[in-house]
Amino acid sequence: MAEARSSSLSELARFGFINLSETVAKLDQLVKQVGDAGRSALASLGRSANPDQALNYLLTLAEVDKAKTKKLLGKEDSAVRLCRLLGASEAMGDLLRRKPELLALLERTIDRPKSAVELRDSLVESATAELKSDFEAQRAWSALRFAYRKELLQIAVFDLSQADQEHGLPIVAAALADLAGAALEGAIEIARFELKHSTEHGTFSAEEVDATRFAVIAMGKCGARELNYISDVDVIFVGESGSAAIDNARAIEISTRLATRMMRAIDGTAQEPMLWQVDPNLRPEGKSGALVRTLESHVAYYDRWAQSWEFQALLKARPIAGDMLLGQAYVNALAPKVWASAAREGFVDSAQKMRERVTDNISSSEIDSQIKLGPGGLRDIEFTVQLLQLVHGRTDETLRNRDTISAISALSAGGYIGRAEADSFSRHYRFLRLLEHRIQLSQMRRTHLMPSSETARRSLARSIDPKGNAESLIERWESVKIEVRGLHQRIFYRPLLSAVAKLEDSTLELSSGQAQDRLAAIGFVDPKGALAQIAALTSGLSRRAAIQRQLLPVLLQWFSQGTDPDAALLAFRRLSEDLGESHWYLRMLRDSTGAAERMTQVLSNSRLATSLFERIPEAAAWFENESDLQPLSSVAIAAELEAIIERHEDTDTAIASIKQIRRRETLRIALGAVLGDLNIEQVSEALSVISELYLKFMLEVALEYEALDAPRAEIEQALDFGIVAMGRFGGGELGFGSDADVMYVYQALNGFDADRAQKMAERLVAQLKKLTADPLLEFEIDIDLRPEGKNGAVARSIDSYENYYQRWADTWEAQALLRARVIAGSKQLIEDFTVIIDRYRYPTEMKPTAITEIRRIKARVESERLPQGADPKRHLKLGRGSLSDVEWLVQLYQMKFGALHPSIRNPKTLAALEAMVEVKLIEAHDARVLTEAWTLASRVRSASVLWANKRTDVLPTDRKQLEGLARILEYPAGGATQLEEDYLAHTRRARMVFERLFFA
Amino acid sequence: MDKQTDFVLRTIEERGVKFVRLWFTDVAGTLKSVAIAPAEVEGAFAEGLGFDGSAIEGLARTYEADMLAVPDPSTFQILPWRGEIDPTARMFCDIQTPDGLPAAADPRNVLRRALAKASDLGFSFYIHPEIEFYLLKSAQFGEEGPIPVDKAGYFDNVPGGTAHDFRRRAVSMLEQLGISVEFSHHEGGPGQNEIDLRYADALTMADNIMTFRTVIKEVAIEQGVYATFMPKPFTEHPGSGMHTHMSLFEGDTNAFFDPSSQYHLSKTAKHFIAGLLRHAPEITAVTNQYVNSYKRLWGGGEAPSFVCWGHNNRSALIRVPLYKPNKGNSSRIEYRAIDSAANPYLAYALILAAGLKGIENEYELPSETEDNVWALNDAERRAMGIQPLPQSLDHAIRKLEESELAAETLGEEVFSYVLANKRREWSEYRSQVTQYELKQNLEVL
Repeated sequence: MAEARSSSLSELARFGFINLSETVAKLDQLVKQVGDAGRSALASLGRSANPDQALNYLLTLAEVDKAKTKKLLGKEDSAVRLCRLLGASEAMGDLLRRKPELLALLERTIDRPKSAVELRDSLVESATAELKSDFEAQRAWSALRFAYRKELLQIAVFDLSQADQEHGLPIVAAALADLAGAALEGAIEIARFELKHSTEHGTFSAEEVDATRFAVIAMGKCGARELNYISDVDVIFVGESGSAAIDNARAIEISTRLATRMMRAIDGTAQEPMLWQVDPNLRPEGKSGALVRTLESHVAYYDRWAQSWEFQALLKARPIAGDMLLGQAYVNALAPKVWASAAREGFVDSAQKMRERVTDNISSSEIDSQIKLGPGGLRDIEFTVQLLQLVHGRTDETLRNRDTISAISALSAGGYIGRAEADSFSRHYRFLRLLEHRIQLSQMRRTHLMPSSETARRSLARSIDPKGNAESLIERWESVKIEVRGLHQRIFYRPLLSAVAKLEDSTLELSSGQAQDRLAAIGFVDPKGALAQIAALTSGLSRRAAIQRQLLPVLLQWFSQGTDPDAALLAFRRLSEDLGESHWYLRMLRDSTGAAERMTQVLSNSRLATSLFERIPEAAAWFENESDLQPLSSVAIAAELEAIIERHEDTDTAIASIKQIRRRETLRIALGAVLGDLNIEQVSEALSVISELYLKFMLEVALEYEALDAPRAEIEQALDFGIVAMGRFGGGELGFGSDADVMYVYQALNGFDADRAQKMAERLVAQLKKLTADPLLEFEIDIDLRPEGKNGAVARSIDSYENYYQRWADTWEAQALLRARVIAGSKQLIEDFTVIIDRYRYPTEMKPTAITEIRRIKARVESERLPQGADPKRHLKLGRGSLSDVEWLVQLYQMKFGALHPSIRNPKTLAALEAMVEVKLIEAHDARVLTEAWTLASRVRSASVLWANKRTDVLPTDRKQLEGLARILEYPAGGATQLEEDYLAHTRRARMVFERLFFA
Repeated sequence: MDKQTDFVLRTIEERGVKFVRLWFTDVAGTLKSVAIAPAEVEGAFAEGLGFDGSAIEGLARTYEADMLAVPDPSTFQILPWRGEIDPTARMFCDIQTPDGLPAAADPRNVLRRALAKASDLGFSFYIHPEIEFYLLKSAQFGEEGPIPVDKAGYFDNVPGGTAHDFRRRAVSMLEQLGISVEFSHHEGGPGQNEIDLRYADALTMADNIMTFRTVIKEVAIEQGVYATFMPKPFTEHPGSGMHTHMSLFEGDTNAFFDPSSQYHLSKTAKHFIAGLLRHAPEITAVTNQYVNSYKRLWGGGEAPSFVCWGHNNRSALIRVPLYKPNKGNSSRIEYRAIDSAANPYLAYALILAAGLKGIENEYELPSETEDNVWALNDAERRAMGIQPLPQSLDHAIRKLEESELAAETLGEEVFSYVLANKRREWSEYRSQVTQYELKQNLEVL
């Protein structure tokens, strides 16, 4: 044994001191005070969590009580006990300094904590000693609290002296709960005495007080006998009359006083500081409910009103103090109700909300240092265990344990979790709890945060193992967190597979009934069907099945978070069958969790994307790479299409390939839209581009493959053929499922015969219509905007257009031309046609009659075009303040002012609106109101196709549909009402602007 | 709530209640009632009572006809009507959609939302209304209009008069229903009476007002007369208003009280008044919702036709009543436009929202008007910046249409329903040929 005097500084460092040179002086001082005992203390200090801190306390204690300190340091085992306590807990050091008489407690080894009975007797006795004629509440409280701390110190000494502290943890936690019960018992004694002998809190006779039965039920951790060093103690009170001397009402009155005075004895102000908060807020009706109820009233409450979470709280109820018979009657009466609660409606929702509530409440700055509430924290373990208990405990009574550790064992013994998982779950739980205990013991403060300072972490590590260091402790903690996070899946979701498939690494087998209980609990409407899907996905010896066995647990969890888990699981199965054994698919599922998660999100939120997916399963590969979810540039798509035209000899193959590219790119856009990577402008832009290219290249096909009578060269000699995009297509504002509005124009070349040119053009048009039709992803060409509408020729020569517009055109036709954009044809043709239509769409002067005409048509369209019975407020296209209002207004302005302001000549609605603000035709505020309404209406339309794979022009009234839309539009869960309110408000404002400007 | 529920179920048993009426109010402010048997009450608490909402004015869009009425146990009362042979009780209901969400178009829910907003700012809203109404010999009327029960005037004591008995009976019935009465007296017009209710929080008070109207009608039937809350039944006599005193509380403290400032009005009170003044024109279509309401507002006398405030100015829209020393908690303001036929839920929601807007945006309070604004001429009023309230329902609708405040407070559904409903009323009214026209024109033209 080294002598302090001769210790080198490096030796001190080896013992774990930090302030080395100061320590030399301090050790000298200690030796001066207590003599030789001080010399031998060095080794004991070296076994403490924080030798510097322990040494400081030794010096203080030596001053306060030299003899005792000397005696304790004189023997090795008591010296180690003392130093470990002082190093691990400043709070205990301070207590010893304040009450040096407690030093004597450290003389003997403590083999086991006292039993509940012993603790109760000890505390009650200390309190009773003060219950005499000169009774003073505060003095009795102090006596009780001091007795509590005396026992607490002994528990701490026992705790720190354990060879395997993690193993000892349940014993310590149980002792702490027993001690809390003892304190409450003592507090009740004091309260009873007080009520009998003082009138300060009501006038009650001794007989009445004695006739009052009063029981304290512990909930939460105290109820489960797994209490922390310092924590609120959750309780519920039961009271009733115990004899004919008083009636129940009087008994409740007295019990309520007893309860309040009992709580004050624990947490009221007195010389000895308060112990902890007694929290009675889990009682029926919470804070606003009666503090004490009769047993009957409790039962009535839980029968009628209680929420699911209140039953979950009852899981841990245990009589702890007062009239134990009454307490036991309470537990017996309510226990069956707890287990029936999993069968109640809304159980799934409330269990999920319970979890969200927990994660929502943590501040983000704390999330990484949270031992209890953060991801991979204690709460995760407790949540999983309780959920399993509630799901399966209904039918299996062996699972009805209060505390977490024995619940885990029971779940394992009953075959609900595998043995290996149970072991690691239990081990991790003890480790995290031990961290929590040590951190709390240090200052006796209620905290669940990993300390941030290096010194504190070092003490923490050493308090668990004197040879430990901060780094490896944090390392272990981080790895435990990761494992705990994964364990929920392994324990809750993975065994679902075992019900239908043989898992080679597990001995566990759930029955299909048990698995269905679990699936129903996480929101599957048809658990039996879901189980069948799982069976199909996981059975067999294929590599795919093997990988899916690995992957499904996490996928199931994601599906259960989406809007329609049943449908998503089915879609996944189909996809998986299509992709079969593709190497990359399995690899992606296995290796890229981000990709798999995004895929589940699409499957559970978009029927459009899901149905396209089934056609193009290989698109699953895009999930791996975010840039693959961005629309391809028009140049890139064009290059690919060109290559097809050049490469293919065979018409059918070329046509099929072009169609496939359109489907593929539409799917890409849909995925981007569902996942929120693309905004509405990007979506409509991309959809317009792909439609444009589709038409253009189908025209190429028509020309190239001699589908017509004449060879290409001959046609091109005779005809310059062009396609004009109109409407939303012209504006580059297509949505999913929009028709493509077009007109066809041609110019006969080289004096080619007019009649034959017209015939040829018509053949081309017919051919195009045939070629572009695609039953798998509809492509509807709409040519109703052509001159003379449905009765007009399908194609016209450029001269014929000119003639027509000059002689016959109605104002609405000029208006339709505003969004005309030639997308195919020679440069010359484009130029000529544009010059002609510009004359009509941007007239130098717009006649008042023409303006009136537009207004009149608009007013008529509003009353006539709206489908029968539709609510104008909710019609996305023709409704109040929606798309057509904004578009008509912009178009009216373009016709009125387009000649004067070339910058507003833009087929895109929003861009034109912006230009109008710049040239001061429209107020910026008005433009913003219009833009918001137009954008929201467009987004809702697009979202409704994505969600339901059906085009709708009406804001749905059905809540479920509305909720689905709201999810795609990135509203939080439950956002349906808000979406509706937003839509109605935006369009109402837009309508006001529209009416002011359009009819002005 | 749950203790309340227990109380309700117990009372039904103990008092042998045979029917329970579930009450709710449609958007127009008409009380609706459905009676259920005691055995159904427990189920109604737990799951609500399903009914076809499309049959109720403005309550549901036709496509979501299924609605639930969920009784509020704190409103349980045994009805004291003499006519009921079997003991009957009533509760007010909240209306919910089948998925358990509050129905957007339930007026009670509109007021709840407005109160929740106030509560977010730390305020609770207390009010006490002075409700005026006429007692007529019957609902029939001839050439000369309706016939009042007496010819007395303001505060007149009519010996052995119907009105006196009537008020005594009505007050005692109200008290039996748990509605405290502050004051009751004969008003200015013949047969016109006023009963002032003791202050309560706005939701309770709106419920009380609905109950009040029913009680008054019931007592009238009992006594063989007819009571009307029509805003202006007589051209030559004053209309029936519902002047409402109001204050905001922060906990137990009156937020309108400040001992150091003029009239003891706190900054909060001043902003509240400013908000209410600024938004008064746009909420008038709700506080004064009928064509007839505007005959009262523009009928002269002391009607509050102009947007201004004053201390003891009997013609101002908002009056700051005389302050009683040492009664800081009685600080309040009185809004005088609202009439006895308003839907109290919607009207108070809007009044509160207007006041809160003033507080949130710290509106400046315009200076006080001491003159009788009726005595000023148009130019004087213009010079003083005093705006008129809307002069007709049409005018009021136009103001309402442009009101973001109203749309936000009522919710888009109720807002557009109210507008459509009022537009319809106006267009029907406009096409009427009136007595006035016939008298003035028929003989000479």
